[in-house]
Amino acid sequence: MDVRNNRRDETGASVITANRLLDGRIVWLSAQGWSELISHARVFGNSEIESAIKQASTAAAARTVVGIYGVQLDPDAAGITPLTVRERIRAFGPTVHPDFAPVETQDVH
Amino acid sequence: MSTDTTTLPVGRYAYDQVDRTFLSQRVAQFREQVARRVAGDLSEDEFKPLRLMNGLYLQLHAYMLRVAVPYGMMGSDQMRALAHIARTYDRDYGHFTTRQNMQFNWIRLEDTPDILELLARVDMHAIQTSGNCIRNVTCDEFAGAAADELLDPRIHAEILRQWSTLHPEFSFLPRKFKIAISGSPHDRVAARFHDIGLVARPGPQGRPVFDVFVGGGLGRTPIIGVKLRDNLPEEDLVAYLEAIVRVYNAYGRRDNMYKARIKILVQALGVEAFREKVDAEFALMNRADYRLDPAIVAGIRARFGIPPLEAPADADRTLAAARRTDPAFDRWVRTNTHPHRHEGFICAVISVKPDGGIPGDITADQMDLVADLADSHSFGEIRVTHMQNVVLGHVRKDQLHELWQKLVAARLATPNIGLVGDIIACPGLDYCALANARSIPIAQKLSARFANPELQERIGPLNINISGCINACGHHHAGHIGILGVDKRGQEFFQLTLGGSAGGDVAIGQILGPALPEDETVDAIARLIDTYLVLRHDNEQFLDTYRRLGAASFKDAVYAPA
Repeated sequence: MDVRNNRRDETGASVITANRLLDGRIVWLSAQGWSELISHARVFGNSEIESAIKQASTAAAARTVVGIYGVQLDPDAAGITPLTVRERIRAFGPTVHPDFAPVETQDVH
Repeated sequence: MSTDTTTLPVGRYAYDQVDRTFLSQRVAQFREQVARRVAGDLSEDEFKPLRLMNGLYLQLHAYMLRVAVPYGMMGSDQMRALAHIARTYDRDYGHFTTRQNMQFNWIRLEDTPDILELLARVDMHAIQTSGNCIRNVTCDEFAGAAADELLDPRIHAEILRQWSTLHPEFSFLPRKFKIAISGSPHDRVAARFHDIGLVARPGPQGRPVFDVFVGGGLGRTPIIGVKLRDNLPEEDLVAYLEAIVRVYNAYGRRDNMYKARIKILVQALGVEAFREKVDAEFALMNRADYRLDPAIVAGIRARFGIPPLEAPADADRTLAAARRTDPAFDRWVRTNTHPHRHEGFICAVISVKPDGGIPGDITADQMDLVADLADSHSFGEIRVTHMQNVVLGHVRKDQLHELWQKLVAARLATPNIGLVGDIIACPGLDYCALANARSIPIAQKLSARFANPELQERIGPLNINISGCINACGHHHAGHIGILGVDKRGQEFFQLTLGGSAGGDVAIGQILGPALPEDETVDAIARLIDTYLVLRHDNEQFLDTYRRLGAASFKDAVYAPA
């Protein structure tokens, strides 16, 4: 795992992400399963994120995703917004193609 | 298989049934591997090397499929297949890379076997576009057409493709391995920035000979390749390259991926010691097994289609008349064409870099149009350039104006080749899992800023290269102005290098100073270019002005308070 992907402060909050196996799309761990929208993501305190990642990695549903890791959130941003540019691009789509942003669906698996 | 070269696909090697059976079996093999992964019978760690052997990466947003275009040559049928894949399996576009390949950014794992099957139907694949093996051999985009060419490099590029594909010794090298070959005295392949760079020319009795450069490359440790030997005879080409790669395979570091490229080995041993090892290996080889006899080379050459180059006697006058009456066309001819070896023909470069556009991105409709134009104006032949553009190699001069008008209608006639708008950029953080910063938005802003074609011509030859990380896929070290994205606590910054060149005056750009925030980078580069326009002598090119004055004047301009 690239160290950048797991960089986070001791305090603050994070969400859990991965890529879906079948199509590679970015997904976020929600209360119901893996969702394409970060707005559905379950927010963890940074003190509990490592155990949550471990639990998500060993769950049966982990077989449907690849590369599970945690993403620190921006405490000053509105809504659930990653702190780094990289993760904001993952969450909201390539900046050069706004039309490719993830779309609102209720799909959770 | 016919050996009548007038009936074969022009410009590329014609597959036979053996090639096609191999590809078909390979697709079936990968289909089964995908099924086993989806069923959970293979873990991701087990599957990853298998998918990479078929050019399938997992990038930031989705799977990315890199399709091989051997030495950048393809036919209109192959381009239409790529358009179909873009339209059916991707988001309606593809992306030309600096290694003369095409990438698709939004591929589904589930669809990949079907896509590879479609590619195989037009004699294409994605083998060796990834992994620690010998990658796609690149060559001059004007090969077999350029007026200044001494020797057509495609024949030997194809020989090297056949030698390296699935080579049992070289499938698991310490790291990836890149070869480029040029047959022109003007290096258009960046030969000295490759693991092996070959420069070919006719030798005694007209038989080809090669100058061999080794240990060049960009990335984390940019190094200019050193000449290993002069005048390598054609018959020893494969044996000598095999000796080089064997030495690398035996001595290249495997403990640290950042130090595993051959350039590190050549530097560590010193060129003399490296040459001694290669010569010793070469001396031990049974050269008869590797000898490239003229008959073998002729057999390969016979499977390339040859275009019937027949043009009206007044083709040149027709073109000259059109240039006189149409200034926009005249400008495009100045910037976007290259002299052809046949006087009635010319090479046309299609810029895939519209003002404010994404360098190298091409839509499915544009791909179909390029295929149609290749059929109507260039014997169905298309070339992809390492500058992320497209070339129609054999256009009749009297038909060039008509071709240009069709390109204008499709937004493919930007007159910027070799100028400030012809920016090389990697996909950057918008798509790439390795990147630290976005490359594309900087390229878009710069090309929009300098969109005025008169201004671009006034500025003159200027290569801007942008990489989103130290891996240097945008070849920033080789840019007259290089831009490198760096990560500072999750935010994007850009470091400028000046004075790089990939041509005969090869040089590695030097870092100018501290990295700039994203929102200051484009303005700083605009100030830098303005400074050059003030300081240059009459008609002096940017690189020459920089070399004359050094960095200080430009440093003041870049780091001046906004």
